Formats: sequence, structure tokens, C-alpha cells
Amino acid sequence: MTDRKPGVYICKGCGIGEAVDTGALEALASGDLKVPVGKQHDFLCGAEGVATIEKDVADGLVNQPIIAACSQRVMTDQFNFDGAQTVRANLREWVAWAMPAGEEDTQMAAADQVRMGVAQASKMDVPEARVEEGLNTRILVVGGGSTGLNAALEAAATGHDVLLIEKTGKLGGWGAQWSKRMPHRPPYRDPQDNNVSSLIEAVQGNSAITVMTDTTVAETDGMPGRFNVKLANGSGEKQETVGAIVVATGWRPYDATKLGHLGYGASPDVVTGVELEGMLANGGVKRKSDGAVPRTVAFALCAGSRDPEHLPYCSSVCCGSSIKQALQIVEADPEAMVYIIFQELRTPGTAEEFYRQAQEAGVIFMKGKVKSVGADLTVTVDDELLGQEIPMTGLDMVVLATGRVPKATDPDKPAAEGGEEQLANDINPVAPIARAGEAEIATPAWSEAVPEGGPILNLQYRQGPHLPMLADGFADSHFICFPYETRRTGIYTCGPVRRPMDMAESAEDAAGAVLKAVQAIRSAQGGMSLHPRVGDLSFPKFGLDICTKCRRCTVECPFGAIDENEEGFPELNATRCRRCGTCMGACPVRTISFDNYNVQMVSEMISAVEIPDEFSEKYRILILACENDAAPALDMAGINRHSLNAEIRLIPVRCLGSVNMLWISDAFQRGYDGAMLMGCRSGDDYQCHFVKGSGIAEERMANVGQTLQSLMLEEGRVRSVEVSIADSAKVGKMIDEFVEEIRGYGMNPFKGF
Amino acid sequence: MTVALPEQATRKYDLGFARWVRDNVNGGAKMSMCMQCGMCSGSCPIGTEMDQGPRKLFMMIRAGMKDEVFNSSTIWNCTSCYNCTVRCPRGVPVTYIIQDLAAKAVEFGYVKKVENARFAKAFWWSAKTFGRTDERLMTAKYYFSFGLVEGMKRGLANLKIAIGMVRTKRMHIGMPHKIKDTKGLQAILAKAAEIDARESKGGA
Ligand SMILES: Cc1cc2nc3c(=O)[nH]c(=O)nc-3n(C[C@H](O)[C@H](O)[C@H](O)COP(=O)(O)OP(=O)(O)OC[C@H]3O[C@@H](n4cnc5c(N)ncnc54)[C@H](O)[C@@H]3O)c2cc1C
Ligand code: SF4
Ligand code: SF4
Ligand code: SF4
Ligand code: SF4
Repeated sequence: MTDRKPGVYICKGCGIGEAVDTGALEALASGDLKVPVGKQHDFLCGAEGVATIEKDVADGLVNQPIIAACSQRVMTDQFNFDGAQTVRANLREWVAWAMPAGEEDTQMAAADQVRMGVAQASKMDVPEARVEEGLNTRILVVGGGSTGLNAALEAAATGHDVLLIEKTGKLGGWGAQWSKRMPHRPPYRDPQDNNVSSLIEAVQGNSAITVMTDTTVAETDGMPGRFNVKLANGSGEKQETVGAIVVATGWRPYDATKLGHLGYGASPDVVTGVELEGMLANGGVKRKSDGAVPRTVAFALCAGSRDPEHLPYCSSVCCGSSIKQALQIVEADPEAMVYIIFQELRTPGTAEEFYRQAQEAGVIFMKGKVKSVGADLTVTVDDELLGQEIPMTGLDMVVLATGRVPKATDPDKPAAEGGEEQLANDINPVAPIARAGEAEIATPAWSEAVPEGGPILNLQYRQGPHLPMLADGFADSHFICFPYETRRTGIYTCGPVRRPMDMAESAEDAAGAVLKAVQAIRSAQGGMSLHPRVGDLSFPKFGLDICTKCRRCTVECPFGAIDENEEGFPELNATRCRRCGTCMGACPVRTISFDNYNVQMVSEMISAVEIPDEFSEKYRILILACENDAAPALDMAGINRHSLNAEIRLIPVRCLGSVNMLWISDAFQRGYDGAMLMGCRSGDDYQCHFVKGSGIAEERMANVGQTLQSLMLEEGRVRSVEVSIADSAKVGKMIDEFVEEIRGYGMNPFKGF
Repeated sequence: MTVALPEQATRKYDLGFARWVRDNVNGGAKMSMCMQCGMCSGSCPIGTEMDQGPRKLFMMIRAGMKDEVFNSSTIWNCTSCYNCTVRCPRGVPVTYIIQDLAAKAVEFGYVKKVENARFAKAFWWSAKTFGRTDERLMTAKYYFSFGLVEGMKRGLANLKIAIGMVRTKRMHIGMPHKIKDTKGLQAILAKAAEIDARESKGGA
């Protein structure tokens, strides 16, 4: 911004006027801080208060209103002025509501809020939007199973054209092969007719949906709004452009030949749940050995699931599908004896009703683990409730409810070359993310980490061809907080490829993923960021004059947004960027910046705080709080009138990933006594809104210790903590404890330098 | 009366036993609803006096442990307080099932091995004959069911208690006390037996 015209507007409402001397703040703004316009108002967000600011903006007096009032998270519409850039200084939640009224320390905290607001404005510019015309709005759905079919229909219903590709010659996936469905409508008691065929008809009859069978993706390039996808089918390759991609490649059964201890292969009458479905759909259940209808059948649940030797997770549908099959057997022959041997019966959603139905129909449920199945069909059950092993004899058939493996890779494709060399562990899609206090986890070699097979989309990204995976080969999808979000913007996963689920759940999942895809396309069209910085128009800008081509930014960007150009300089794929600032935190020469968020801006804010001298007994602790969870938790602390220590100075950051370690050394050189980073949980159960940001901050923090040592300061003066949005009652105590520890170290000797 | 135990029900773990209980034991049809939560055993005031408790007993039925079930003290120590039945979240008529299992145990000749069964038999003899319990005769009948020598032994061992009871008028010597209308009682019991024979198939 060439001509900055800041104006400070101080609100006296909501208890601010009672807690602090707003007159003194106004005097500070127009005095020491030399801000040309400084005003206070009884009720700034009211019509009159807003009109005052509007008028100053319209008169050309102010183009950067600094609102010293409530949190940046509230009243955003009221304090949004055409042609001006608003800055917020939080006097309400973080000062007036959290610190004792009328005290010197409270007043000092309020004054520093104003100072930081003014400093922030001095380094902020209105983001220059980058809007690209003619972006593509078509949605590509990969996988034509029930999940993909639902996704295609949902996408068409939102008015988008759809390209649905299916690897095999037929639509419907596994679901089309089941004779009956688990109940998905009230009263949720009986197996229902399978309606996958009507889904297929609906897709085929929808003019907005183009279906291509026998087709896979050979290569994917580009970014949201213009993904260039090379499709391969028997006859050759075809180039298509799409705006966003939904991946619904489903699952495959766990290889039952690995379950020799459960008799698979030893007797033809030991079958898998999938094989039994085949029999039920094709003329009824018969023994493979002699064609007889079995009268006594045992189901062994969790066959290969929840087993550290096989699949460590629960496959989620096999309890329900075994109940379905048991009911079908009992219905065909009421005298048949059916046993379901379970460890824990998992009945998500309404499946509890289904379980009762089976109990009423006389299916016998036994709690225990099947230890072995002999060639003579003797099933040995380790009965947990009886505490003994029970051999069950006289069975005609044993059904193994085998688990499911996600198809986040294509098992029929060769493993992608170059994964390991590409950028080594940093971008290994399954590389574990570091967690504070935990010993470093060994990163598995690429070959062990990525499940067999080749990449589904074969991304031509600098970060490798795979969709990042999390644990156990499932596509990473921000499992805990934001389902469907992958680490590749504009590409969303749904159905069992990201988490085991049944068809009803997958249908909802498909709708969710499609809505994300629609958002990705619309945001790309507007040049705006997606979740969580929805609507942000800023972009990272790279000052290539001093860039050393170190590639840290490419490596650390959680979303694979950066490639390198031919000369080796970073090149942004604009619509992939989520504006987290992780690249900015990474850059060793600090040449990455956003118009409205940059290293210098935060440095200025840190420096703006007045540091009392070493005789004052007043400590200053810098807190860099992630704006996604930690800052709201601090807001909530104020709202709930939990007290916050008046010696802290809070600066919200986009993500801990954006924290440049320069800020920490800046702070200590300026005389702060301690620094705390507050961010979301990292690790493989991460809650970081930008997936890897807080984990990366953890890694960088490891080096801060050295910096402190070089300043002859204690390492304990810096701490990073995990704060979730629900921690409002705890966060104040966490701070108090930290401040207490800092007092133990005494004041930073650098004060006054 | 009851459908015979399934023929193959001679092995230790008999898969047909659970079905047999379902079809033949009063309340057995609802036993399949049991989800093994343990509320019944936890609620039972004399659970500590039972070898298995209802929850485990039901699991043993599912596992086909016929002999262990019929020889279990659980079915005999139940006092019919109905705590379990009232509390069972799955509506299993626990008490009915336990009572009828005891009746079936008698029917299939398991009782000889179980002390409680002998006691119950003696108790029932007294109740049926006199319309009330006669402590002296009932106890004698119970003790001597173990044979003459064992009966004497048990009687002597408890002599002190018996004398004390007589002194405090808790037990009486002489003709047993009877209810007024023993004939009427016999008629009631005969009718009950008749109904039972008619409706002896399962169902609560
Ligand atoms: C024994 C058993 C019984 C079940 N019964 C029920 C039930 O009764 N009710 C219920 O709700 N759920 C049931 N389920 C679960 C249900 O089958 C799944 O939820 C459902 O199949 C998920 O559908 P999907 O489309 O995600 O995956 P899939 O059915 O696996 O379909 C994926 C599709 O994508 C295609 N594909 C894969 N890779 C590629 C690629 N690289 N490129 C292009 N296309 C690709 C595949 O060919 C396939 O057509 C059962 C599961 C089991 C194991
Ligand atoms: S759904 Fe049931 S059978 Fe399948 S893995 Fe989970 S607990 Fe085991
Ligand atoms: S702001 Fe975040 S998403 Fe964008 S390029 Fe930088 S690290 Fe990647
Ligand atoms: S991190 Fe900075 S120096 Fe390194 S490549 Fe990126 S922009 Fe260049
Ligand atoms: S309370 Fe009912 S459901 Fe629970 S163990 Fe006892 S019989 Fe079974």
C-alpha cells in the first residue's frame, strides 16, 4: 500500500470502558503512535459507531481502520468497510474480560494491543487477487461403485457436469453383487432389497453424467479449476480437463489365503463373507465340497481384522454383513443353526436393531475369538466369558468375515517410480508427523510405507504421484476434524477408500466430498482460498532475487502447492494453495510473504510491545496462537471470564507452520522473558487444520534450543503446547504454569538492549 | 412332558443344546436376546453363593455345556427374587429360565449329584404334603436322602442347633403342623400340573 492512512477506533462498550482507561489509549494512538485519526465510541459496532468509521473512510481520512474492540472472530460484517483494510486489536476477550479491571497491568496489556494493531497495519497491504478466467467446472469421479455412483448423482444435482470413470467393464462395484442390503430404512430390522441397480440406471439416464468404463487415470496434472487428466482405456489415452476430482475407488477383500490358521484353503467349506454373498445371490448357499445345503454354520468375525498380524483396524461392515447373511440362511431354513462368534459386536448407526432381529430369529451369538479352524471344520473358540477354549464340532460350513483393504493405490498398476528419490521422507505420503515429547518415529521406507500397486491419479506433482495416505493405507482425509479434505487441494476422497464404511454411510460421504469439490471449483474461480481461510485472496509471493533454491517451501507445503520451474525456483500452483503460510515459516531467507501476512509484520508486532525494564518485576511472555483453535479457545476463556495472565502478549498466527523461528529470536532479543506456541494437535491423529503445520513447527522448534543457548538463555523459556478449541477452561492455567516457570528462571538479561 | 434332550447331546460341547433350551425351557425363546452384559449376575443377592451366575450360565448354554449347566448350583440357589428379570435390559425372563432348568434337571435325572436339588425335593415334599414346611421332617428327609449313615451324621452334627430351635419354639416336636385344607391344596397342584403338561413347550 503506497499511502497508508491508519485510524484507531476504541470501543468502550461490552465492559471495555470499565476495565481500561480508553482515553489514555486514544492519547497513546494520536501521541506516541502518531496515528492521524484516533477516536473512542461507547458502542462501536452500533449504527452510529460504524457510521463514524464509514465516514472517515469515505472522506479519505482512513484506509486502515484499527478496531480496538472485540475479537477478530466477531462483528466481521459490521467492521468491513469498502475500500479499506480492517485490522483488529482484541481489547474485549483478551483484556477487559480476562484481566482485572482498572489495574495497571491490564491497562498495559490494552495499550500493547493497540500498539500491535498499529504495527500490524504498517506492514499490511490489501491482497491483490489473482483470478483466472475460463476455469473448468466439471467434476471427475474416479470409481463407479455405489459411492462413486452416488457422488456422480450428487454432483449432477448441484448443476455440475460429471465425468465418471470406472476401471472395470461394469458399474456398481462390490455393492452390485450383494443379494440383499443391510437395512438402511426404518424399522432397520430386515435385510432389504439391493438397490444398486437403480443407482446405475439413474446415472446412465442422467444427461449431465458421462460414464467411461474400462478406464483409469494415467496421469493428473494441474490444479483446482484446471486439472489435466490423461485417461487410459484399452484403446488408448484421452486428455480431459476437469475442475475437481472425487476419488471413490473403494476397497478389496483382505487376502484370505493369509488366514491359513482359520482353515481357509484347508477345507473347501471354509469360505469368506464375499464368497458367501456370491452364493446367496446365485441360487443359495451350498457346500463347495458336496453341494449340500449346510444346516449348521458358524461365522468367524474379525477374520484378519483387528489383528496386529493382519489388518490392525476394524473393517466396520463385517459384523453387519454377517448378521445379514445369517438372517438370510435362517430365513431359508428356520431349523438351520447359525452361530456368530464375535469379539465385540460392532453395530454402528441403527445396526443394533438388526442385531436384535437376528437374536430373535435364533441366531446364536458367542463372544470369543476363533483360534483355529480345522480341515474337519472344528472351530476352536477362545471363549472370553467362560474363560476356556471351546471346540465346536459338527459344523457344515465356516464363514470367515474377512476384512477390507482400502484401494488408495491401484494394485494392478506397477509401483510408481521415483517416489523415494523425489523428495525423500519429507513428502512421503505416509511419513509420520512428529509429535512433541515423543521419540522420533522412524520413517518407513517408501516401499514399505506405500501399499503395493501404483498411484490412482498418478499426480505429476513435485511431491510425488500418490494421494497422501495416513495410517494403514487409507487415503488421508483429515480424519478427525474435516472429513474428505486430502492433502491435495481439489481432490477429495469418500467411501471405504478413506475409512471403512457401508453403502449408506458412503452415500452421505459421497455427498460431502462432492460439496467440497464444488467449493474448490467456486473458490478457484474467485481466486479465493478454501477451508479454513475461506475467501482469503492473499497468496504467498516469492522474492526470487534472494531465493537460494533450497526447496524447503516445496518440501514443507502440506498441500503440494509448490513446484519448481526450469531454473529450480519455486513456482506456485495458485489454486492448490490454502494460504497456511507454512512455506513462509519454512523459508530460511524469509523471502516468502503474503500481502496481508508476512514475517516482517509479525516481527513489527513483537517489537511494538513495550518491554518494562528489569527492575519493574513485570514479565513479558509472547504467545503465538494458531487462529484456528488456540485463538478461539483464548476468546472463549475471556467470554467465560476465565482469567488470563496480564503479562502475556498474544499474536494470532495462521498456523503454527507459518511461524518463522526468527520471531522467537526477535522476541528474546527484544527482552521478552518467554515464548509459547499454541497450536493444534500433531501426529497421526492430528487436528491441525493445515494437516502438517503444527507438526512441522514441532520439528523446527527442535532447533530453537540452539538459538537460545547461543543467547545464553534457558531452553525452557520456549514451549509449544497443543490447545484445542474445547480447552478454554484450561488454557489460562497452562499459561499461568508457564509464567511461573519463567519466573523461576528470572528475567531475560537482554532487557534494555 | 418335555421333548427329550437332543440325541447328540451327549458330547461335552453340544451345538444343539442352545436350540433345545430355546424350544423347551420356559422363557428359553428369549434367551437368545441376552447380550452378556452381566446385569443379572451383578444384581443377584446370592450371586456369591452361585458357581456360575445367570450370565455365565447362559453363555454355557450357548456353548452347549449341557452337563455343566444341569449340574450347576446356580439353578438351585436362585431364590426367585426376580431382581435379575426386572433389571435385564434385554427383557430376558432370567428367573423363569433358571427355574425351568431346575425342573428339567430333575426330569432328566441330574439331581442326584446336586445337594441343593435334594434339599429342594425335601422342601417340596413338605410343602406339598402339609401346605407348609415342617423343619424337622423336611430336614430329616433331606439328610437321609444321602443314606442312613450320612443322615445320622448330619443330624448329630446339627443337634445343638436343633435343640436351640426347639427351645425357642422355632421347631416343634410332635405331629407336623398342617394347613386347614390340604385337599384343596392337592387339587390346586394337580390342576397346575395339568396346565404345565398342556403348555410345557417354551415361551415366556
Ligand atoms: C461381505 C460384505 C457384505 C456387505 N454388505 C453390505 C450391505 O449389505 N450393505 C451395505 O451398505 N454395505 C455392505 N458392504 C459394504 C459395501 O460393499 C461397501 O460399503 C461398498 O462396496 C462401498 O462402495 P464403493 O463404491 O466405495 O467401493 P467399491 O464397491 O469397491 O467400488 C469401487 C469401484 O471403483 C472402481 N475402481 C477401483 N479402482 C479404480 C481405479 N483406479 N480407477 C477407476 N476405477 C476404480 C472399482 O472397479 C469399483 O467399481 C458389504 C461388505 C462386505 C465385505
Ligand atoms: S465390523 Fe465387526 S467383524 Fe468386522 S472387523 Fe469390526 S468388529 Fe470385526
Ligand atoms: S501458503 Fe500453505 S498451501 Fe500455500 S504454498 Fe504456502 S505452504 Fe503451501
Ligand atoms: S524456501 Fe525460500 S529460499 Fe528456499 S526455495 Fe523456497 S523461496 Fe527459495
Ligand atoms: S441381564 Fe439380561 S442381557 Fe444381561 S447378561 Fe443377564 S440375561 Fe443377559
